[in-house]
Amino acid sequence: MKVVIIGASFAGVAAALETRKRHPNARIVLLEKQATLAYIPNGLHLYWKKEIEDLNKARFITEEQLVKNHIDFHLGANVEKINTTQKTVNYNYQEKEEVITYDKLIIAAGSKQLSEKINGSAQESVLKYKRYDEAQAALAKVKESNHVTIIGGGQVGVEAADLLTRQQKKVTIIESMDYVMFKYLDKDMIQPIQQAISDSGIDLKLGETVSTIESKTNHKVTVNYGEESVTSDAVIMSVNVRPHLPFLDAHINLHIDQTIAVDRYLRTSVKDVFAVGDCIQLSGPDKDNIYIPLINNAVRTGIVAATNLNKPEIAFKGSLRTIGTKIFGHYIASTGMTESDSVFSNKTVKSSRQKIRLTSLPSTETAIVKWVYDAKTHVVLGAQLISTANILEKVNTLALAIQTKQTIEDLQQTDYFFHPSYTQMIATTNLVSWMGEGLFDDEN
Amino acid sequence: MKIEDFLEKNEVREITIFKQLVLNNGKLTYFDMLDYLSVSKASLETDLDSIAVKIAECDLQVHIHYDGQIIALEMSDTVSLQHIYRHYLDQSIKVEIIKFLFKHQKFTITQLSQKLVISESSLYRKIKELNTHLKEFDIKIRNGQLNGEELQIRYFYFQFYYYIEDKTYLLSKYAGKQMTQAVQTLEKFLDAEISPENRQKLIIWLIISKTRITIKDQQVDNLRMQMKPYLKDPLYHKIQVMVFRYFSRYSIEVDEGEAMIHFAYLLAFSILSENDFHEYRMIRDRHAPIASVDTQVAETIIIHFNFRRLPYMLERDMYYHLTHIHTRLYFFQGDVEIYEYQEILSNEKQIVGSHLVFFADELLKVSTEKFNRESSESNSLFRTEVPKYISLLILITSKTAKVLQVGIDLKIDDLYKETFSQLLMRKMRPLNGIQTEAYEPNKTYDLILTNESPENQRIYKEARVYILAKILSDYDMENIQQIILELNT
Ligand SMILES: Cc1cc2nc3c(=O)[nH]c(=O)nc-3n(C[C@H](O)[C@H](O)[C@H](O)COP(=O)(O)OP(=O)(O)OC[C@H]3O[C@@H](n4cnc5c(N)ncnc54)[C@H](O)[C@@H]3O)c2cc1C
Repeated sequence: MKVVIIGASFAGVAAALETRKRHPNARIVLLEKQATLAYIPNGLHLYWKKEIEDLNKARFITEEQLVKNHIDFHLGANVEKINTTQKTVNYNYQEKEEVITYDKLIIAAGSKQLSEKINGSAQESVLKYKRYDEAQAALAKVKESNHVTIIGGGQVGVEAADLLTRQQKKVTIIESMDYVMFKYLDKDMIQPIQQAISDSGIDLKLGETVSTIESKTNHKVTVNYGEESVTSDAVIMSVNVRPHLPFLDAHINLHIDQTIAVDRYLRTSVKDVFAVGDCIQLSGPDKDNIYIPLINNAVRTGIVAATNLNKPEIAFKGSLRTIGTKIFGHYIASTGMTESDSVFSNKTVKSSRQKIRLTSLPSTETAIVKWVYDAKTHVVLGAQLISTANILEKVNTLALAIQTKQTIEDLQQTDYFFHPSYTQMIATTNLVSWMGEGLFDDEN
Repeated sequence: MKIEDFLEKNEVREITIFKQLVLNNGKLTYFDMLDYLSVSKASLETDLDSIAVKIAECDLQVHIHYDGQIIALEMSDTVSLQHIYRHYLDQSIKVEIIKFLFKHQKFTITQLSQKLVISESSLYRKIKELNTHLKEFDIKIRNGQLNGEELQIRYFYFQFYYYIEDKTYLLSKYAGKQMTQAVQTLEKFLDAEISPENRQKLIIWLIISKTRITIKDQQVDNLRMQMKPYLKDPLYHKIQVMVFRYFSRYSIEVDEGEAMIHFAYLLAFSILSENDFHEYRMIRDRHAPIASVDTQVAETIIIHFNFRRLPYMLERDMYYHLTHIHTRLYFFQGDVEIYEYQEILSNEKQIVGSHLVFFADELLKVSTEKFNRESSESNSLFRTEVPKYISLLILITSKTAKVLQVGIDLKIDDLYKETFSQLLMRKMRPLNGIQTEAYEPNKTYDLILTNESPENQRIYKEARVYILAKILSDYDMENIQQIILELNT
């Protein structure tokens, strides 16, 4: 069996490794447009955070590991066309047109940070840094900039803003919605973050959508939004990513949003062709298909597709859009449905928000926890956490609780160990017991 | 634009034959028909033959007989003119072109001429004809695509699917769970309740929007200009948040333009209930163009009728309708003219009262001048808004009218007296807000209709007296209506 995989990032590599595990004799070929392998999209942030001393260290797998697994890979191989009737893939490699046939094809070509609405966003002076070469360019440009404008106040944008202010740069964030990180947090949770953002001197423009970006002669860039504009030394695009799949043939069905349509086994509309990672929609917290471009989903879909190559064995379980990060001194985590997103659901939800002391000491830090749960059944649907203490690991437990459909009452009965030297109070108890009296009062 | 614009000249004539027959109780002489259509005998023959062929093709229970003298229509109770229109439209190449464009967004001449099985040159001709009609919408088919402001394109498709194409087809093909869900989401976001009829309208709109959403280079420049006074509008803000949040769930990029498009639509097409609209009206900026024209027109109406003040709910209702009319005039261009309501209202001056029609024209002048829009003959939007004003005026006058007592006191021979009194009452029946009866000396009346000046004015007490110029004449009816209106306000 010959398995060809387009794209050697998280999804593609995960699919390759899983295929090897299941099919020791299969020939596995990874085709990757980039010149280098397995760059971590967040690498530049790791570098700015000084967690790596060289951008080139931000790699999630090495070439040797692939070789050891007998996985063929071609770097700098740009797939230009596929023919699903003849089962061929055409790609450009070292300036030559190559054709490869396949028995099974996995499309893991991911996504790009691109905007078709913002005029001028494609120019080089507008920085994106999902890929290694882009990150190198961004690193150099930001180094020599004093004022940076960030378009998009999502996780990437806010993280960047934090890291850049720490380098004493002046930062402007422009966000279309009326608060930042709206996909993961409800508005009533964001206050501490937005406070910290404005305390750090960042100019935060909310409810504004960028229309055009113009390069000026003095190496400055002007970003226009609404009736206003801001001119700075550099612009970072941290808007939503989107698949870019010009090589597909007409047999592969797409959704309206240009993601590839797949079934639960990640099979496309064409036999023997699978799609994974950032180029597909997933079943989200409410089981409806939505677009959730996250590494965790890329890896898991890669594994599931590889498992189903010969026959449908396991269905993809869906995604709770679990995230965790630290910004402006606050650890933030979110999993499952937010209250704001519940308008898209048929369920009636209730929510509860609590401030919890992490220890019984008077000077203790606190965490704010928000629960979103089904009003009727009390099944937990989502949770959000914010604290100055590192409570990130907790979100995985909560995600598991949601995935296994625990109710608020079930959670009160979970068994956690306590040891004063190893656990904070928040870790010891299930958070729910802290909901106390307010448990069944919808705060809003 | 008219429905007929989608048909060929001979088809329009054929439809007209049907229409004339319906209007004349199903029968018309050959000569009257020739006269009406102003065509030659030969061409009427051809039309009738062609009708016969078309009817035979479909399973409608309709027949047209002609014996060389009389043309007669036989139509079963379950068939209406609408069905006949439908049958003709189903064969229309122009309708097919628009449907194809809607489905595929783009076509090449070769591809489409093959699909429609017509020559490339006749396809070119059809497109050219379509473009003359699309002009009033300020959109155009060019290079196999619909070009123009995005709001206008969606608006045109909406009118097309609502009034011209069979909407049940569109709904059955595209309206799934996702659409129902989208409507529910919208209700939750706007905290509004949407009625079943509006739900259907909204779903058609959402289907159209969905197919347009990924079109590159949508034009919204004009809309952005129009929206400047609305950037802080509370309803717009809600819609904006909804649009951004909704599309953040997909890999679809949207900007404010998308939210602006929905704002214009929701307000112009009366999707909100009166109650929900009222809440919005209380918090909207009164100085923004639509609200200020609403106020100006409302005041003009109130002054015109000399109202001291309108009943609370009626005033709310008036603003509700005015906002829809004015939002259309402010944002949109072009319209599809629907024969039924519009023509009836503008033509039946008898019932409506010509002064109302005249006044409605005046109101249109007020609003279009305020919006700086030149009223032009070719833009049917202006034409279609007049009947809406008329309709609103009728609503207001009939709701504010007290019941006037009208006494008929004819001074003619007894036998005729009773008959003519009856006929006069019958003729007055369509007038709202009056109670008409044969004059009785002991009762008090607001209005007396008689044919001779009374010898003693005082016999009718406080009543106003109108002397009929000619019993049952239209001239008198007009005057009577005017008097009733005066007495009412
Ligand atoms: C700045 C930034 C930071 C992020 N940080 C996080 C984070 O901290 N946590 C998290 O969960 N997610 C994060 N994400 C999201 C994450 O990057 C994606 O979800 C993840 O990379 C998806 O993996 P993938 O393998 O599906 O696609 P991608 O990583 O997009 O990889 C697709 C690969 O396919 C290749 N390719 C595309 N077209 C072709 C072609 N025609 N021929 C050959 N090869 C092709 C590309 O070169 C690329 O290497 C971040 C995103 C950005 C932009």
